[in-house]
Amino acid sequence: MILRAILWRGVLLAALWCLLTEGRVDSWGLGVASAVLALAASLILLPPGSIRFSLAGLAVFLVYFINQSLRAGVRVALLALRPRLNIHPGIEPVSLRMPVGVGRVILVNTLNLLPGTLVVDLAANHLYLHTLDIGGSIEEEVRVAELRIAKMLGLDLDDEP
Amino acid sequence: MTDLGMVLEVFLFINLLVALLKVTRGPTHADRMLAALLFGTTGVALLLLLAHTEGEPALVDIALALAVLAVIAGAAFAQRAWRGKWEGNEHS
Amino acid sequence: MSIPELLSASFLLIGAAFFLVGTIGLLRFPDVYTRLHALTKVDNLGLGFTVLGLVIQAPDALAALKLVLVWLLALLASATGNFLIIRRAFDKGIAPWMAQERENDP
Repeated sequence: MILRAILWRGVLLAALWCLLTEGRVDSWGLGVASAVLALAASLILLPPGSIRFSLAGLAVFLVYFINQSLRAGVRVALLALRPRLNIHPGIEPVSLRMPVGVGRVILVNTLNLLPGTLVVDLAANHLYLHTLDIGGSIEEEVRVAELRIAKMLGLDLDDEP
Repeated sequence: MTDLGMVLEVFLFINLLVALLKVTRGPTHADRMLAALLFGTTGVALLLLLAHTEGEPALVDIALALAVLAVIAGAAFAQRAWRGKWEGNEHS
Repeated sequence: MSIPELLSASFLLIGAAFFLVGTIGLLRFPDVYTRLHALTKVDNLGLGFTVLGLVIQAPDALAALKLVLVWLLALLASATGNFLIIRRAFDKGIAPWMAQERENDP
């Protein structure tokens, strides 16, 4: 289990180094050293076994993410271009079912790129979201994002609070 | 094609300049910190364009470093630099 | 101009347009929270389209993948940096601009 994780991450990091150097081999010593250090850091920060990464889940998530960030950008762009600024910003609390850990980090980053939401604070099982239009369908958006990320990482969501 | 690239570079540069002038005027410290994020997006785009039009692939590496530095600057700012007074009344 | 060149040029132009709108939002939005909306969402699309335009013209697959990597990293960087800044601003009690204040508008 742990060996498998080390192997996978090592291959991934080595591939990353190849990408960064665009396939040049003259600095492979530095590459190996960096990959080992990065591997050690990754094992400390994200111990193996905490997630069950799913490639299919990743694909679904990526499509969802790109689609949503396009929507987000276009929406905010349109708001910025209106001759009279017509925004109703505010802060809303939304309950959270994502367990503490890497899932939450990804959720916060995703929500920051979603249409109309910015995470301003994170409590034990609540998010405080700043929105450009208060009273929208923020709750559902968060639920969808949670579900997609949980599928990708093989995490179980907590019960509805 | 290179002409378009150069026009876009000048355009992005002016964009970055205007945005930077705006955020440095505040009014809060958080506004000023947006400068780091600006380098992380507009700055990176500008460098990538330059790498292409100038045929200088090393600039891609610089763009990569700039993106990473933008987060580190933001984190350092949030953790350390922005100590002290409550800024509740500074907003207007 | 060949078709890939045309496609690449249009993506680059769309990217630049998003950057322009992002700056307009930055200038017009009333407080640091709303300005962050403009910066993270719109500018990231600007960068996304710029990268897309350049990927089409990349000399080889590795160079193209590297450009995508830069974009992913910048995306992660901006989402993370933005969360750290905004949480700190909220902590420090910078009040968000509320819609009610608009009533003094002409």
